[in-house]
Amino acid sequence: MDDSLDTWFKHEILVHEASLVRYLLRTWPNRQEVYDLRQDTYVRVYEAAEKSRPQSPKSFLFATARNLMADHIRRRRIVAIDAVGDLDALNVLIDTISSEHRASGQEELRRLAEAIDHLPPKCREAVWMRRVDDMPQKEVATRLGISQKTVEKHVMKGMKLLAAAMFRSDEGNTGEDEVREADKKEKKRGKP
Amino acid sequence: MESHRQLEDQAAAFLARRDGDDWTDANQAELEQWLTGSTARRVAFLRLEAAWDEARRLKALGAGLLPGSVPPPGEWRHTPFFDSETDLRRPSDALGEPLNPTRPVQRRSTGVRTAQRVRFLTLAAAVLLALGIGAYFTSSPKGDRYSTPIGGIETVPLRDGSNITLNTATQVRIELTPTERHIRLDEGEAFFEVAHDPNRPFVVQVGTKRVIAVGTKFSVRRDGDDIRVTVMEGKVRVETAATGGGQGSNRVAATHKSVAGAEMPEFTRVSSPGEALLIAGSVASVGDEGMVIEQKPLAEAQDDLSWRQGYLTFHDTSLADAVAEFNRYNTHQIVIEDPAVAAIRISGNFRALNYAAFVRVLGDGFAIHARTSDDTTTLMK
Repeated sequence: MDDSLDTWFKHEILVHEASLVRYLLRTWPNRQEVYDLRQDTYVRVYEAAEKSRPQSPKSFLFATARNLMADHIRRRRIVAIDAVGDLDALNVLIDTISSEHRASGQEELRRLAEAIDHLPPKCREAVWMRRVDDMPQKEVATRLGISQKTVEKHVMKGMKLLAAAMFRSDEGNTGEDEVREADKKEKKRGKP
Repeated sequence: MESHRQLEDQAAAFLARRDGDDWTDANQAELEQWLTGSTARRVAFLRLEAAWDEARRLKALGAGLLPGSVPPPGEWRHTPFFDSETDLRRPSDALGEPLNPTRPVQRRSTGVRTAQRVRFLTLAAAVLLALGIGAYFTSSPKGDRYSTPIGGIETVPLRDGSNITLNTATQVRIELTPTERHIRLDEGEAFFEVAHDPNRPFVVQVGTKRVIAVGTKFSVRRDGDDIRVTVMEGKVRVETAATGGGQGSNRVAATHKSVAGAEMPEFTRVSSPGEALLIAGSVASVGDEGMVIEQKPLAEAQDDLSWRQGYLTFHDTSLADAVAEFNRYNTHQIVIEDPAVAAIRISGNFRALNYAAFVRVLGDGFAIHARTSDDTTTLMK
C-alpha cells in the first residue's frame, strides 16, 4: 500500500471534486452517469499516478475526464452534440475561480456544521457521538436505544452524506439528492 | 464493473466497521484484500475516508459540552465560529487572532450578544436593501446599459451564454451583433466569462483600448483612462490605439514577440500603439503610453478577482493602497493622515463591505487608532 500516493490523491485530486462534478454535469448529457464518470476519472488518474505523478494534478484530472468522455462517445457512437461542442472548448470550462483554493478553516467548519445539520436526526446523533465525543459504539447504541449494527448503519450513511456535502459544488446538485435518490431506488427495489 | 454507488456502500461498510469497537487483524486483512481488488474500490474508499477524517473537525463545535449531549441543529449560528452566517462576517482574521479550533463554545454567555447581533443583522440587511444591491438596467438603441452602485456586485447573463460580473460602482454597455459582442466598460471593473464563439469576437472597449477574446475568462478594471486586465483562462488580445480605436483602425503588427512563448520574461513592456496576446495568469496594466505585462502564477492572479466572492485580498500591500480599495466599495471613506501609517504593509483577506472590521483589525494588530464620524474614518498612530 502506497500511503504517500493515497495522501497525494486526497490532497491534489479529491479537493477538486466540486469543479470536476460541475464540469461533468455541464458537459455530459446524462446526469445519471455523471457519478460513474467521476469514479472512472478517479481510477484513471490514480492508476496513472502510480506510474508517475502528473506535474499539474488539476489539469491532468480535467484532461482525463475529457478523454474519458471522448472515449465513451466514440465507443457508443451516440454523438451528443452538446457534449462534443463542450469537449472542444474544454479550456473554457475548467473553473479556476471557485473551490480549488482550499476553503479556509472556518469555511470548512461551517460547511461541516451545515452538512451534519442536514443528516436525519438519529443518524446525526450517532455521527456526533462517534466522531465528536469519541464514544464507543456500544455506548452510543445504549444511549440511542438501538442495536450496534444500526449504529454502524447510521455511521455508514452519515459518512456518505458528509462526503457528498463536503465535496459538493455550490451550484445546483447538493450531493444529498444523489444519496437520497439512491435510497429511494433501493426501497423500490425492495430490501435485499 | 461495480457502479459508484455499490462501491461507495462497500467502502462505507468497511470504514464504519473499522471505526467500530471490534476491528480485528482479520478484518484489516479483509479490507486490504478488498482494496487491492480494484483501483475503483481504493478511490471510493479514499474519498470517504478523507471526508470522515475531516468530520473530526466538528470537535471544535463540541468543545465544552458533556459527551452524549448532542446540540440541536443550527445551534452553531450563535457561536463565535459562525459570525459568518450572514455576509457580514468578520474577515478571516489574517491579521487578528487566528481561529482557535479548541476554543470552547460559549453557550451560556451569548444570550445578550445574540440579541444584539440579531438587531445588528436586521440593520445591516436594511442598509444593504437601501443601497439597492443589484444591477440597474436600462436599454437603448445604443445597447443595453447595466450599472452597479458602490458596494454592489451583480452577474449579468448574456444571450450568447457569456456572463459579466460587475464589481462595485461599475457601468457597462452591451451590444450583441451577429459579428461581434461589444462591451463598453464606462466605469469600474468587470469579470467576463466568455462563451466560445470563434465567429463573434468578444470585445471589451475602454476608451481607445480594446480587449478581445474568443472564449475565455478575464477581468478588466478601469481607473480613469488606465486599465488593468487579468486573464484567468484562454487567451486575450489587448490593443491600444493612438487615436480612434474603432474596428477599422490599423492594428499594429505585433511589436514584440508573442508573450505566449514558453520562456516568458516576468515582465514585458509594449509601447503604444500596439497589441499583446495575454495568456492565463497575465496581468496587464495598460496606460496611454503602453502596457506592462506581468506573468503571475494563476493562484496569485486570482487575488485580483477575490472581489467576486466579496473579498479583498492583500499581499504585502501598503495600507494606502488597501484603504483605496476599501474606499471603492464603501460610501464611508477611510482617510490616512500620517504617511508613516500609509506606508505600513499588510496581508490578509477582508470582506469588502466590512470596513469596520478592517479598521478594528488594524487597531488590534498595528495599534493604529481610528477616529470615526458618520461618513469617514481617520487612521492615525
